[in-house]
Amino acid sequence: MASIGQRALMPAKNLLEEAGDMVILTGKTVVSAIKPPYPYGGEFVSQFLFALKLCWFPLLISTVAFGYGAPGLQAANFLVLFGAIDRLGGFFVLASIREFAPFVTAIVLAGVAGTAITADLGARKIREELDALQVLGVDPIKNLVVPRFLALMLVTGLFDIYALLFGIFGGIVATLVNGAPLGPFWATFFTNASTVDLWGSLLKTTLYGAIIAIVCCYKGMTASGGAEGVGRAVNQAVVIAFLGIFAFNYVFTQTLLATHPEIQVIR
Amino acid sequence: MPIEDPNTQPPVDDYQWHTGRTTEVVDPAIEFIGVKKAFGSNKVLNGLDMALPDDQISMILGPSGTGKSVCIKHIVGLLYPDDGDVLVHGESVPMMGDDQLYAMRQRCGLLFQDGALFGSMNLYDNVAFPLRQHTEKSEDEIAHIVNQRLKEVGLGNSNEKMPNELSGGMRKRAGFARALVLDPDIVMFDEPDSGLDPVRTALLCELIQEIHAENGGAYVVITHDIASARRVAEYIAVLWKGQIVESGAATDLFESANPFVRQFLSGESQGPLGME
Repeated sequence: MASIGQRALMPAKNLLEEAGDMVILTGKTVVSAIKPPYPYGGEFVSQFLFALKLCWFPLLISTVAFGYGAPGLQAANFLVLFGAIDRLGGFFVLASIREFAPFVTAIVLAGVAGTAITADLGARKIREELDALQVLGVDPIKNLVVPRFLALMLVTGLFDIYALLFGIFGGIVATLVNGAPLGPFWATFFTNASTVDLWGSLLKTTLYGAIIAIVCCYKGMTASGGAEGVGRAVNQAVVIAFLGIFAFNYVFTQTLLATHPEIQVIR
Repeated sequence: MPIEDPNTQPPVDDYQWHTGRTTEVVDPAIEFIGVKKAFGSNKVLNGLDMALPDDQISMILGPSGTGKSVCIKHIVGLLYPDDGDVLVHGESVPMMGDDQLYAMRQRCGLLFQDGALFGSMNLYDNVAFPLRQHTEKSEDEIAHIVNQRLKEVGLGNSNEKMPNELSGGMRKRAGFARALVLDPDIVMFDEPDSGLDPVRTALLCELIQEIHAENGGAYVVITHDIASARRVAEYIAVLWKGQIVESGAATDLFESANPFVRQFLSGESQGPLGME
């Protein structure tokens, strides 16, 4: 009976252990990033450019399509019923700036750059390169995790602005498709938009980048079981990163709304 | 009185051949003291006591899955014991802080099974990597050392080749060159003969002997290839079921009366070691 109980609890225990390990990795990464020396400059630039190169086009397509399709067409259809298509601009502050731009950015970054990081580190782990680095006296956290962590945070933050612009472009297209002028769209957009919305969006997306980096680096560095193990690690990294992002979004949104109640008012 | 089932076999003592016979090692380079290590329910090291001498080529021999590679990973702090201690030149590895551990690792060289070369660097950069990381040497000095080491391992003309362009044997030799560039006190080889043909294995063994004769230090070779052991070993530790069966000077071990050691070192099918 005890053995059955132990076996039943094993997945929960493993999950908690992994979560704990990821928290420890986050702590070590932050400390390593701050503590001199800083040998990761070159790797940081290369990872930043790598993520930029891989993600700009998928993100462009995703944000325009998503902005036009989901909040654009769906909300416009609804608002047209009430003759209130001008409110679409205000809705885009809620939809695109606060939620969809950060989400789409995180999903594209996790799916494109995050998986590449897990696959790269996982392959290095399988080939014992990571062990070799450690034996050669090189700290893999400082030299591999920190540059990816910083690069992904910066690139997701910047990509949030990019996603905002192209997401709003989707809203503009939806407005035009409905035969409405753009003046009222911009009027309600700027009446509802605030700096809190903008920095909230940027901060949230930057922290999404941190979550993606930690999860993907962790899963890559702990991959085992040959090529199949790397595939499994990539799959788990995406799932865990999405779960982490969704859970963090709930906490962040609740905190932001509680600390800045004025942004709940629809003008 | 209970009736005894005549088909019931008496329980086999896993450690009946572990006599613990050993030659005392004065001033050992590496010591395992009561080391226990388990991965889940699989106990790999079970109270391992082992001392490996300085300035000699030691071999840890044993059947597959007995924890030989796990021993090496404990020495360089890639794994930590669940219980017991691992000492390198008298210093406890599990007690070392990160900085101390990285400093200790710089005094160790390790040749991984497949060389573990960095896939993004060519051969020259792979071998130069430890020098660029840990020394203030100029590129000219680094080039001199790297070229010399590559020449020693017979890869003098392969500087620009990438790891995926090399054969298994070449990758091992390149890994050997990289393990040596910082002139380490301890060099470890994790199954250097795996995947190599007998001639290349013999050549690699010769290379290990030559370089040890030139540089000295404690060399630890993990293998289950008895021919390699006969060629290069000065000290042998036979590991099974997470403990040392016997250890001592290679000449003594090859003459051992222990049936397990005798069977293993002669590679015979008959004896206490079966397929289990």
